[in-house]
Amino acid sequence: MFKLKNFRKRSLWILHYNAGSCNGCDIEILACLGPTYDLERFGVLNRGNPKQSDMLLITGPVTYRSRERVVELFTQMPEPKVVVAVGSCTCTGGVFSGMYNVEDGVDKYIPVDVYIPGCAATPEYIIDGVLKGLELLEHKSKEIVKPKKLFKKLSFHKDHIDRRGIAGKVGENDGKD
Amino acid sequence: MSTTTKAVDMQIPLGAQHISLLEPVKFTFTTQNEKIVDVGSDVGFVHRGVEHACSSKFEFKQVGFVVARICGLCAITHSMCYTAGVEKLLDAQVTQKAKYLRTLLIELDRIHSHMLCLSHTCENAGFEAMFMSLMGDREPVMGLQEAITGNRVQFDYITIGGVTREFDAQTAQKIIQVLGQTQKKIEGYIEEFQNNWSLSKKFEGIGALSPEGAYEYNAIGPLARACGLQVDVRNGLDYLPYKEVGFTTITQTGGDIHARNMVRLYEILNSIKMCRNIVEGLPEGEIQTKVRGKPQGEVITRLEAPRGELMYYLKGENKKVLDRVRIKTPTFATIPAMIEIFKGQDYADAPAILASFDPCLSCTAK
Ligand code: SF4
Repeated sequence: MFKLKNFRKRSLWILHYNAGSCNGCDIEILACLGPTYDLERFGVLNRGNPKQSDMLLITGPVTYRSRERVVELFTQMPEPKVVVAVGSCTCTGGVFSGMYNVEDGVDKYIPVDVYIPGCAATPEYIIDGVLKGLELLEHKSKEIVKPKKLFKKLSFHKDHIDRRGIAGKVGENDGKD
Repeated sequence: MSTTTKAVDMQIPLGAQHISLLEPVKFTFTTQNEKIVDVGSDVGFVHRGVEHACSSKFEFKQVGFVVARICGLCAITHSMCYTAGVEKLLDAQVTQKAKYLRTLLIELDRIHSHMLCLSHTCENAGFEAMFMSLMGDREPVMGLQEAITGNRVQFDYITIGGVTREFDAQTAQKIIQVLGQTQKKIEGYIEEFQNNWSLSKKFEGIGALSPEGAYEYNAIGPLARACGLQVDVRNGLDYLPYKEVGFTTITQTGGDIHARNMVRLYEILNSIKMCRNIVEGLPEGEIQTKVRGKPQGEVITRLEAPRGELMYYLKGENKKVLDRVRIKTPTFATIPAMIEIFKGQDYADAPAILASFDPCLSCTAK
């Protein structure tokens, strides 16, 4: 019997999405994947495919136009999954809080497991955060995690959950906006 | 085979989330048998509304740190361009030493930004080892920035009236040493980029732009210099001592991906030379001067960011909060040229061409 959990622990695939950040934290994530900080020694690979990823690294305060995309990417990822918010502006809105085109922080839309502070978050912090997320991943179940907003009903396709199009359009489901 | 098959237009989207993109941008390519015939672009995904906040929520003393958060790669150029504008409005005098330190940081930033772009080009060419090696060699430069300013990306180094810190003799020594190392590495890379098939020959003639086209479509920055145009704002700046520290305009001919890479590589060498001159010839004096008053009037300032010309327009009415902050960013100006280049290229080359522009969408959308 394969111990899938063990394998997952040693080969974490991440999905990185920029939801309106200033690139500062994005290039620090890139630096983490480079040879000096070498996140890959933990088996972490950056693959831009939500359907194969275990961890969503998200940067930026969530602009109005990236909301649906964030939720869509989140719902497309299979469980168990962890969400790591990188950077102060991702956690709370940071310097962008209160600007007319941003939501203050990503946790209004999707549940966040690890918050990494700093503007920009240093690579050391990011490595710590990712490893923390890895620990949390072990205790997660396969139960479906719902985003907090913009969520339609689950639709089934021959016993499988059809993950396409679960994210609703802004203004359709929530009264706000 | 008969040749009567009608060419069908196919629409292929690239983005908003894509592995070869760092930032969300959406291109819609209309293709005919692999050839791109038309491109539509949508760049507004990261629009945050910084301009509005700068003229409503933040005081003019704070705006310098807010505009730095427009872009993490050219944070320092944004705050410098803004600060230069406000200093002109306030009639502030900045010491020669502060000017030198500002130039030093801007050039260090250019080095690391260009290296990141080059490594991204390598990655999109499928040359993962080179990507890693360039990223590794970029780290010492980031280390220098941290040693001088205390932060790796968002320096918050330039304030109205001067800079926040200076460095001691030990750090100066380290800067010289790291610059020497980096120079050797870059010379190696130049050879590699010129002779390695997967980086040079493959890219020759791909994504080319003629000098007339560059002029017509308002190309700026490395994109224009790769076509042979002498476009560099650093030539005529009055508020930074570029002439004294040994600046030369780098141009190449060809206008293709290869030429753009070469422009970036030679510019890194030029920046290293400037940094060395600055550290060795740093004038004595204070780093901060007191500035009083509130901005009054209008001003336009320009500065050469790693990607091209950056322009700020400021308007103040003798109040704490500015009336208008208008930012024109380099990538925004190059989009017409970009679209022109894409036409007639193979779809398979699209990510490589895109990376060679080094687009910065968080600048564009603000
Ligand atoms: S936390 Fe700061 S450096 Fe990071 S993305 Fe946000 S504004 Fe940029």
